[in-house]
Amino acid sequence: MILRLAFRNIVGNGYRSLINVLILAIVLIIMVWMQAMYHSWTRLALIQQTDWEYGKGLLRSKLYDPYDSYTWEDSAVREPEQLKSAIQGGDLVPILISPASIYPKGRMMPAVLRGIPHDQDVLRLPVSGLKAQGKDIIPVLIGQNMAQSSRLEKGDIFSIRIKDSSGVFNALDAEVSDVIHIPAASADMSSVWLDLEALREVKASESLVTYFVMGDARYADHEYENFRHIPKSEYFADFYEMLATERVQQAITYALLIFLAMIAVFDTQALAVFKRRKEIGTLASLGLTKGKISLLFTLEGIHYLLFAAIAGAILGFPLFWYFAQYGFQIPKGYEDFGIQGFTEPIYFVYPMGEIIGLFLLVLCFTALFSWLPTRKITKLSPVDALRGKVD
Amino acid sequence: MKESIVKIRNMGKAFPTGEGDFWALQNINLDFERGEFSGIVGPSGSGKTTLLNIIGSLDKPSLGDVEVLGQKIQTLNQKKSSILRAKHIGFIFQTYNLLPVYNVYENVEFPLLLLKMDAAKRERMVKDAIEWVGLTDKIKSRPNQLSGGQCQRVAIARAMVKKPDLVLADEPTANLDSENSYKILDTMLKLSEDLGTTFIFSTHDQKVISYLKRIIKLTDGEVSSDDTQTGV
Repeated sequence: MILRLAFRNIVGNGYRSLINVLILAIVLIIMVWMQAMYHSWTRLALIQQTDWEYGKGLLRSKLYDPYDSYTWEDSAVREPEQLKSAIQGGDLVPILISPASIYPKGRMMPAVLRGIPHDQDVLRLPVSGLKAQGKDIIPVLIGQNMAQSSRLEKGDIFSIRIKDSSGVFNALDAEVSDVIHIPAASADMSSVWLDLEALREVKASESLVTYFVMGDARYADHEYENFRHIPKSEYFADFYEMLATERVQQAITYALLIFLAMIAVFDTQALAVFKRRKEIGTLASLGLTKGKISLLFTLEGIHYLLFAAIAGAILGFPLFWYFAQYGFQIPKGYEDFGIQGFTEPIYFVYPMGEIIGLFLLVLCFTALFSWLPTRKITKLSPVDALRGKVD
Repeated sequence: MKESIVKIRNMGKAFPTGEGDFWALQNINLDFERGEFSGIVGPSGSGKTTLLNIIGSLDKPSLGDVEVLGQKIQTLNQKKSSILRAKHIGFIFQTYNLLPVYNVYENVEFPLLLLKMDAAKRERMVKDAIEWVGLTDKIKSRPNQLSGGQCQRVAIARAMVKKPDLVLADEPTANLDSENSYKILDTMLKLSEDLGTTFIFSTHDQKVISYLKRIIKLTDGEVSSDDTQTGV
């Protein structure tokens, strides 16, 4: 009965209800959009990094510090004997990192050589073309970002200067076998991918490896000499930290949006309690308790949100569909920052659990801000209400 | 002797003002019997509406006892007052006080929804009440589609639909022309006689007064006369 009356009052309230519903709908659309954006970005970044760099985990040389390039030269260690069969079976992909200088088109620039077996299938890197064809020129693979910064193109030949394990500089020629899109920025920027054996040969460092990419997570459970397992939490620590900062900004935006919507709800409710005193008195005379009258007004406020959810779904659908279908295009130049996930269009995936959670949060606030003005009703005597008396 | 459903003893009602209490009602001693068609008359400010509000448990007396259907108004809490009104008391207001978003049927149905009765019985009672007041053809109309007289008839149907023991009508004809006033007074008198409902009016309208079987005159918050009329 109260629900029906609340519904009818909202419908009967005409354009005032419409304004509230629209405001709440817009807030909901923005919140759903933002939530989907963050969720899809995070999801994409995790998938990209996992597919292109992390695999099912990393076993990293204890000497290797990814944040200190000066350690890279000497961080490679010998493959542990106990892992030989796993390496041969393809469950572990050994990767050797070596700083080098490259000379594309007569210029010199620093680069990181990354040796990877040309027959691995754990990472999505298309490395089969890295197999040396018996020529002196080593085939290499670079990402689009590297290609842009080095101005190298497919088929270009350039020189590489590298220090071998005894400290002697060697030079070799390399040919860009392909320029590919590498979504994981850290596997692209400054990186030159080549066959592991070719790199080992140049460095005169047989069986040296900087880290393993695991194709099977079971290798994470053991201790290996000179290697340690890098869990996801550590590997993605920077990304999670950046996300935490973003979450704060997101929370502030949500708070502002909810605050603005709640001002509208509160204002409408306060005005309704003020204007509808006679109705409050009438309901009391008919036998409704003050609690039920308060509930009526609170339900009216909640109705705004329910209508807004429907309106938001209808109005927001084209927007939601567009971003799911065509993705959020990363503004030009952003890919240069190397932000994980910000390397290709982000196709929106809508996290229903999070969206429902957000909706419930807004529902709680709406209920609260709808109820607050009705506290006056509990202090109002039915006689004063019938008279339309103003405090 | 008929059953007395309202007993008022030494009742007074004071309102605080800047210069101390203002006594709107003093030394009120009255009894209203079941089926009585009575009215409280007097000039504006004489305390008619205040007395009606106290009988209707919308307000509490400052002094004395008011017993309605065996329940002492001064001791009732908010919930019990609401139950008393929902079950036993109907109100008719000068300005009709219909719910604007509801149609005639829904307005009349509303008090029965509070009593949680089954749908079939409710529907029958609502249709009966609308028929009593002659608005069957307006059952789907909203209050803004009705004339003042029709609105007041809806208000009467709403007050009578639950067949209450007591109906309190505060200046029910004040906004109506003579023709409509007589129509609704006829309706109320007939319902009182048919259903045995006690009607207490607050009025200074001569048309209403001419229908009353008992006239209680209030002057400056005190009963100055209490006359039973015959041959109405």
